[in-house]
Amino acid sequence: MRALFLLLLFSFYAFSDLVLEITEGASKPVKIAILEKNNNSMVGQEIIEIVSNDLKRTGEFEILGINELLSVPANESEVIQRDWLLLDVDSILFLEIDSTSGSLDIDWSLFDVSYDEVEEKKIILGLPDSLRQTSHYISDGVYKYFYGIDGISSTKLMYVTKNLDTHKLIISDADGFNDQVLLKSNKSIISPAWSSDGKQIAYVSFENNRAQVFIQDLASGKRDLILSSSSSVSSPAWSPDGKNLALTSTKDGNSEIYIIDLNNKKISRLTENSAIDTEPAWSPDGKKIIFTSDRSGSPQIYEINVRTKLKRRLTTQGTYNARASYISEDEIVLVHRFSSNFNVAKMNLTTRKLEVLTTTKNDESPCIAPNGNVIIYSAKEGSLSYLAGVNISSKVSFKLPALFGELKEPAWSPFLR
Amino acid sequence: MKNALILIFTIFFIFACSTTPVEKVEVQETTTVDLTEKSTEENRVDPMNEVDVGEAFVTVYFDYDEDTLKEESLESLFTISRMMKGDARYTLLVEGHADERGTREYNLALSERRAKAIEDFLVATGVSSFNIEVVGYGEESPVDVASNETAWAKNRRAEVFFIR
Repeated sequence: MRALFLLLLFSFYAFSDLVLEITEGASKPVKIAILEKNNNSMVGQEIIEIVSNDLKRTGEFEILGINELLSVPANESEVIQRDWLLLDVDSILFLEIDSTSGSLDIDWSLFDVSYDEVEEKKIILGLPDSLRQTSHYISDGVYKYFYGIDGISSTKLMYVTKNLDTHKLIISDADGFNDQVLLKSNKSIISPAWSSDGKQIAYVSFENNRAQVFIQDLASGKRDLILSSSSSVSSPAWSPDGKNLALTSTKDGNSEIYIIDLNNKKISRLTENSAIDTEPAWSPDGKKIIFTSDRSGSPQIYEINVRTKLKRRLTTQGTYNARASYISEDEIVLVHRFSSNFNVAKMNLTTRKLEVLTTTKNDESPCIAPNGNVIIYSAKEGSLSYLAGVNISSKVSFKLPALFGELKEPAWSPFLR
Repeated sequence: MKNALILIFTIFFIFACSTTPVEKVEVQETTTVDLTEKSTEENRVDPMNEVDVGEAFVTVYFDYDEDTLKEESLESLFTISRMMKGDARYTLLVEGHADERGTREYNLALSERRAKAIEDFLVATGVSSFNIEVVGYGEESPVDVASNETAWAKNRRAEVFFIR
């Protein structure tokens, strides 16, 4: 079994940095089969494999292999309902692929076995040289049909790797494939963040021997140093409308949070306190910012209204609460010290109820997927650091271990379509 | 008759389009920035880059989530203070560090506060803050990469260098 598992991993991910494995699956996954309509092409097989892996990776689907089937219908009209009821299959995903004349257009439909009819139908105008991305669109559509929330297979992950003394900032597809290096440096890179349109990123680089914030355009690689200062500048966070960048700097002598208008570079100070104030994160409506402050003697999460500057303390449980971000207007995810461990937790802002979501020793940098339902974070076991994730609604957990070196600082892209 | 067929076809086509949602796949291009092959000229953004600071003159250790100087550190800091006051040309670089526990950004702020605590102490004893440079490295440069109390205690530190 273990050998088979490893074989599967290697055949899927041999050329990728990320190797995703489900550590705990959903209790009652949706069971489907995927078939190419009226054909059995090479391209079709490739697409079926990518979609199968996407759906399996959520931990919320079980995909039947072709040799587990009792009959193989060429299209909807050939489905023998009894065969599929026997296998307890929920739906059959039919793909009709048109790869003639340099296109890759896919009509996909979901045939509901118990209703004995097609329930969902979509057309994807794909690109032949980006077959993987085209396939991820199908996975996301299927996910949404069954679970009512947007799938995240077509989104991107950004993360930092460290191997010996080389630090790389990388983006890849959410499945770890198609990894592209954005920045390669001999010094640390931390706190990568996406702009709301997914076209730019911001990060902290120690390339000049102190923390500085850069904005980089993904397509051109053009970089801008934000806030030139002889003090440290860090923790960039884009406002949801993309117009402002919140960040932390010690330029006035102490760690404070500032907001920079990216159009005119005008800077305004948000916090004024002799304690550490850092790790700003915007609320989804852009009106509030949550941040970490040790003004009470230990790091705790506070919320500030950007316009009125009214503040309130959010966390009261425990001696260490930091690096919070919003899951929704009413819920945040954060790092919480629980006995001697640092874990990822979520907290409801109305009830103030805190729920610890992870169990390893030193978890950090939690980040929420754009569908608000999957948290990715970095964890450490021994000298090995890796990315791990947890699905909020299904409780499915997964792991993306580094093949070598360290893998850390994940940042999930916004929806890119 | 032929016209009617075309009409029926057109209606069918419009109908098909309006009921089946269509999505178009978009792909993002990226460019790699490689700083490891940067020319020396470009590297001279910060003068600190050019200085080989050598070994730390003094290393001061801190307790967990603390930036308060311990009594045991004061003697060596008084020595530095006397040297600085004796020769105004001396310039110090104080690098603060944190252990791996907790979040990177909070640790960056904490490490800078540790370095700042040394600056504040020296300034209080009469050294000019003009001759002290403070920088925080957070948990990015541990001296011991192990995950235990011995390693953490070694990593919660501030290193004092004479750069001139």
